[in-house]
Amino acid sequence: MIVIEHINKHFGKLHVLKDVSLTVARGEVVVIIGPSGSGKSTLLRCLNYLETIDDGYITIEGQPIGKIKLPDGRLVDDSRKNVYRLRSRMGMVFQRFNLFPHQTVLQNVMEGPITVSKTPVTEAKDRSLALLAKVGLADKADAYPVQLSGGQQQRVAIARALAMQPRVMLFDEPTSALDPELVGEVLEVIKDLVREGMTMIVVTHEMGFAREVADRVIFMNDGRILEDASPQAIFTNPSHTRTREFLSKIL
Amino acid sequence: MRIGPIDVEFLLAITPILLKGALMTIELTVLSIFFGTIIGLFVALMKISRFKLLAVIGGFYTWVIRGIPLLVQLFILYYGLAQYFDIQLSPKAAAVLGLSICGGAYIAEIIRAGIQSIDKGQMEAALSLGMSSTQAMRRVILPQAYRRLLPPMGNEFIALMKDTSLVSVITMVELMRSGILLNTTYFRSMEIYLTVGIIYLIMTTFFIYIICRLEKRLAISEGD
Repeated sequence: MIVIEHINKHFGKLHVLKDVSLTVARGEVVVIIGPSGSGKSTLLRCLNYLETIDDGYITIEGQPIGKIKLPDGRLVDDSRKNVYRLRSRMGMVFQRFNLFPHQTVLQNVMEGPITVSKTPVTEAKDRSLALLAKVGLADKADAYPVQLSGGQQQRVAIARALAMQPRVMLFDEPTSALDPELVGEVLEVIKDLVREGMTMIVVTHEMGFAREVADRVIFMNDGRILEDASPQAIFTNPSHTRTREFLSKIL
Repeated sequence: MRIGPIDVEFLLAITPILLKGALMTIELTVLSIFFGTIIGLFVALMKISRFKLLAVIGGFYTWVIRGIPLLVQLFILYYGLAQYFDIQLSPKAAAVLGLSICGGAYIAEIIRAGIQSIDKGQMEAALSLGMSSTQAMRRVILPQAYRRLLPPMGNEFIALMKDTSLVSVITMVELMRSGILLNTTYFRSMEIYLTVGIIYLIMTTFFIYIICRLEKRLAISEGD
């Protein structure tokens, strides 16, 4: 469903993604772990083209994002319209929620369907209320984001991403900005999505969560994918010393 | 009748004339705020545009306009254009044009700073939903920037109202010029210019009051 081929990314002189390749199948849950600065978040952001890539190739359901390969093999920039369309099929959840503070919870969730998909307001509203119920926040529909706890805000952010009926969900450290006692409620919502068979890529430091829900765990270090294996294999018998070092520090 | 050194009858006689001038001052202020804000919004969007050429043009505009005194700009518009291109603007057209162009440059800087003060995550969240950058600007960034813009915009509007007094030099009859004309007849500078000053003060105070009300209303409607 998602194919990443040999992508490279620099921030100035810093080489943050080094020849990264990764394939994610439909319905698969892939968890990316690794020390900070290893390129995990950047990889996720390249997927929906919030960051451009220097070279390499990414396709979502066979459709290239950002760059199109010409018959002679050259890569050219895709039209912005195509980028927008592909982004709307991927839900992204950010570490710092990024809810729209000037809108109510319900308006936040309806924003995508109404502005991007031109869904009629009544339909968007029904769907959004159903999504809020699903994340357990139906009673907060008319509240503003500032009135919610971090955990509640992140659940709204998940509902907002789901409102676009995405084919894949990308989570960028969804619980890292939360107080410890609020982490659980957000992970529960994500686990519900796992049960429904949503394809997802999750960057996280929650190892228990990774072990429980991941089909595959990717360990990234210094811009490269060092390991790509089942959670069982990674947590009990990692093949790289670097992975072992990282896990011994964090577990 | 006199109260101390003040000739009350004289004040009563000149006030209607000054108020008529004040009406024109208000008209000039409203028009130049209107056009200045439109110019300012466009120039601000140019300055943060990903198209380098637009950004350069926007930067050039604010650099030149903010670097030359408004008085000089008005002389160029009113007298300069007439000499070179045979374009004789009416005093009012030159006044509105000059004030809008000048106000626009300052407003552009205010709007640009307001837009850039919004957390980058907001734009990213909007884009990740599939919005175009124009939609994100319109639906997410500007509504938030708008609120932060009000206080500095209020200051700019008041400055613009006071700056309208400069157009008196291009023969535009507004409050200041009404005062000057009265003074050429009566030579009573103190009474006349004091009254002019008080009328400006009343107008700016009223303006500040309206802006404060707007800020409060906005704060309530946004739930925090």
